[in-house]
Amino acid sequence: MTQLEDQAATKQVTRRAVELVDVDIHPVMLGPDMARRLPERWGRHLERYGRRAPFVTDLYPRPRNKGMRADSWPEGGIPGSSYELLREQLLDEHDIDFGILLCLNAHDAGYEHPEYDAAINRVVNEWIVEEWLDRDERLRSCISVPYDHPELAIAEIERWAGDDRFVQVLLPAAGQEPFGSRKYWPVYRAAADAGLPVAFHTGGYTGHRGAGWPSFYLEEHAGYGVVMQMLLTSLVCEGTFAAIPNLKVVMTEGGALWAAALRWRLDDAWSQLRDEVPELDRLPSEYIHDHVWFDTQPMEEPDDPQHFLQVVEQADLSDRLMFATDYPHWDFDTPAQSVPRGLGKEQRAKLLAGTAIELYGLPTHVDRA
Amino acid sequence: MTVATATEAIDCDLHVAPAGVDTLLPYLDEYWRSYIDDATIRMGQAAYPMGAATTGAAPAGNHEELTAVLDETRPRRAILSCLALDGVHRNPHYGAAMATAINTWMRDEFLERDERLRASMVVSTLDIPAAVAEVERWDGDGRFAQVLLPVRNDIPYGNRYYHPLHAAAHERGLPIALHAWGRGGNAPTTTGVTTSYLEDYASNAHIAQTQMMSFVAEGVFSELPELKIVFLECGFSWLPPQLWRFDKDWKGVWREVPWVKERPSEYIRRHMRFTTEPAQLPQDPEQIAQVVAMVGPELLLYASDHPHEHGASSERLLASLGDEDAEAILRGNAAAFYGGSIA
Repeated sequence: MTQLEDQAATKQVTRRAVELVDVDIHPVMLGPDMARRLPERWGRHLERYGRRAPFVTDLYPRPRNKGMRADSWPEGGIPGSSYELLREQLLDEHDIDFGILLCLNAHDAGYEHPEYDAAINRVVNEWIVEEWLDRDERLRSCISVPYDHPELAIAEIERWAGDDRFVQVLLPAAGQEPFGSRKYWPVYRAAADAGLPVAFHTGGYTGHRGAGWPSFYLEEHAGYGVVMQMLLTSLVCEGTFAAIPNLKVVMTEGGALWAAALRWRLDDAWSQLRDEVPELDRLPSEYIHDHVWFDTQPMEEPDDPQHFLQVVEQADLSDRLMFATDYPHWDFDTPAQSVPRGLGKEQRAKLLAGTAIELYGLPTHVDRA
Repeated sequence: MTVATATEAIDCDLHVAPAGVDTLLPYLDEYWRSYIDDATIRMGQAAYPMGAATTGAAPAGNHEELTAVLDETRPRRAILSCLALDGVHRNPHYGAAMATAINTWMRDEFLERDERLRASMVVSTLDIPAAVAEVERWDGDGRFAQVLLPVRNDIPYGNRYYHPLHAAAHERGLPIALHAWGRGGNAPTTTGVTTSYLEDYASNAHIAQTQMMSFVAEGVFSELPELKIVFLECGFSWLPPQLWRFDKDWKGVWREVPWVKERPSEYIRRHMRFTTEPAQLPQDPEQIAQVVAMVGPELLLYASDHPHEHGASSERLLASLGDEDAEAILRGNAAAFYGGSIA
């Protein structure tokens, strides 16, 4: 009897509406687990040579608890490495109907040997299936892909696209080239054709900001949204959305409210400069509305809650914004306390579940113990 | 540029540029004249391609051309900005020599001939002692209203590398003005150079946000409590969410930056100002009013940004303002921010 069957047999099953979807949860694979799962050459390579990209916490050390919730350290592991603790602290505690896993272990693997990059992504996905998805019917995940080696990334998408527990393809906020580059379009096309959104998550190798490197984690973290603005500007201006009409992208853990000013900025710029880019035949704000979703993490919090509501309206985000906890990071948002006051009942329901249900094709009701 | 509603304004960003490098040769010594001649150096205007609608006409290149502009815009005061030093040159000695040449040219060509005019002082960004010497050179002149730096450079401006320059400006009450564009060799993104001018153009706002955070996070205002920063041609409608985000993060990780003693937005609201062009605003007047209220009209300084053409947002902005906010943005805020030589 599997664990799931065991759960079903011992508890009464009831049918309930899906009311809470968490679209940004971070499971973490420990180094020895990765080394053990890799093919022999790459396991040895990992142990002897490690990884090429500087680790982000080495660039910008997190000043307390390594940037994690203080209570999220499992015995013998690191935050996010224990399914049992995550289930207890997140899924059960907050009664989450569906949680989407974004494992960042392969985020900056684009700097590796192509086959090493591919192997890292493959074992991350296998580990996600075996250690997470197979153990809890509430969990969904992203397909990690070797995005900087597009033909290998497409193979990885094809490998998992038949498993509907993988609901999107995961990329970081920066790769070897700007993500609007045509180099990446085959990856986006493969995702879109498989019916999968592409999620860009904060992170990857994003130190230089067009003005040199900042000095502090405060700047790095408060600048996540700025990096997302750069990324979305690249996608729009290089014609990615014009070229791939069925592409849906999700900007994760970069905030969302900056989207209003970005839309005005790009619309004004396009109105003046459209003769340079005739392939963009619509206002940038229209491409953004039709193609781009956002999560709430980390929520931008004005002193006046009315301002939040105003910007949601200005940015036309009412059916584009999805709740995320960002477990187990230090700035974790709880569904009970962090959703801004003043949202109407319908809009709150969309933010907490409805928009994600629609985007990811999740069921509206579930039979759960 | 909005002419009709903005007469008698204090125009904080009006562009001039020498028609060619020959104009500056009289202000350079024999070594630099031969350097320019040997290398056939031309004035770089990579940031403003002549065919782009945003570029508009050529900036005024002499007093007569500028007078024609002023006859149209009719400002009470105008602060001239010359971006001719921005470019991709990496030679710090050249940058320092050209800065002196450009400032002296602006004095002779414009400041000496029209009492309404002030200028932004150009300095080398690759040789900070030379930049400090340039600031000192103009002591007593009183017509250089701010120190001009390109918003794009190699190291964020809060970094200690720039401290002597900020201290020199602080000592004299001169704002540091960060203008759109700058060092052209650096990509305006985390990853690479953009394939379109459109994207490059939109990127000034992203880099301005990075610079804004750098000044606060590095504690510049704790050491230089009266230092003033103004962002020229970088927009301002991006401010509110970025301030909310910055404040919230500081509340979480202040231990990393103990020299930041107040909420970041308090430093920014006290020390920083933003010019109105480009305005980058929504179409709906009600939403424009929301944005102005969230930003705070007290942070905005009017600029014509002549001859650049960023679209209709700034006209919508001025049309949306009540009398009190219009007076503040067109004149009052600049008079209070710059003080003496501008008011």
